[in-house]
Amino acid sequence: MKDLIKKDHTYAHSIDRVWAAITDPAQITAWFIKANFKAEVGYDYTFQHEQTIIKGKVLEVSPVTKLVYTWNVSGTGDVETTVSWQLSPIPEGTHLTLEHSGISNYPEEGLATTMFDNFSKGWINCISELEKYLKEVAHA
Amino acid sequence: MPEQVDRIFKAIADPTRREIINLLVVAATSLSITQITEKFDISRQGITKHIKSLEDAGLISISSEGREKYCSATPIQLKVVYDWLTSYEQFWTDKLNDLDDFLNKKYTTN
Repeated sequence: MKDLIKKDHTYAHSIDRVWAAITDPAQITAWFIKANFKAEVGYDYTFQHEQTIIKGKVLEVSPVTKLVYTWNVSGTGDVETTVSWQLSPIPEGTHLTLEHSGISNYPEEGLATTMFDNFSKGWINCISELEKYLKEVAHA
Repeated sequence: MPEQVDRIFKAIADPTRREIINLLVVAATSLSITQITEKFDISRQGITKHIKSLEDAGLISISSEGREKYCSATPIQLKVVYDWLTSYEQFWTDKLNDLDDFLNKKYTTN
């Protein structure tokens, strides 16, 4: 499982607008997730989506170009991941690079990737068992 | 393979059904079949079929209000899907697109 997710996206809006959208709690709540947030280093923020609560600490704030915070999903133990938003002005508007790192800190158990692995193994076992069975029947 | 697990597996094996679940999770509220249909390039009948399969898998619950049916994600069964979401790939792709929509709407010159 890879440790880093990196996404690039271009927005046809000024860097100030994109910065406001990712730092102002009302705006974060409007497009992303219900937020209690302040773009201040050391601020302990809370994001909530239904029963899922995400907590973290703001690590870095460089208006209007960089925002970094930890991202810890409740119920996933003490797994700490980090989300970084980097903005740069471009002629078309703003380029955003989002990086989510520390993903490999999640335990393998219970992850869907594992589930799918298990499922496919299950099916392979099932198919080979069936194959064996059919062979036996054919030779009976 | 237990029947229920088999049903969940089949239900989430289809990309449209994964998108429906995702939509309901992100919406954080129940959505009518009409509202769901609006998000897809599929007939209402097609969506209804997908929704039935998701309901059978226990991934969503359906309630009727008047003539409309409302669907919501079922959190407990969704643990499986939630785990799948923790791969985050799709999550961030969707969210960055949501940000695009948000900015475009917010700053549309009326």
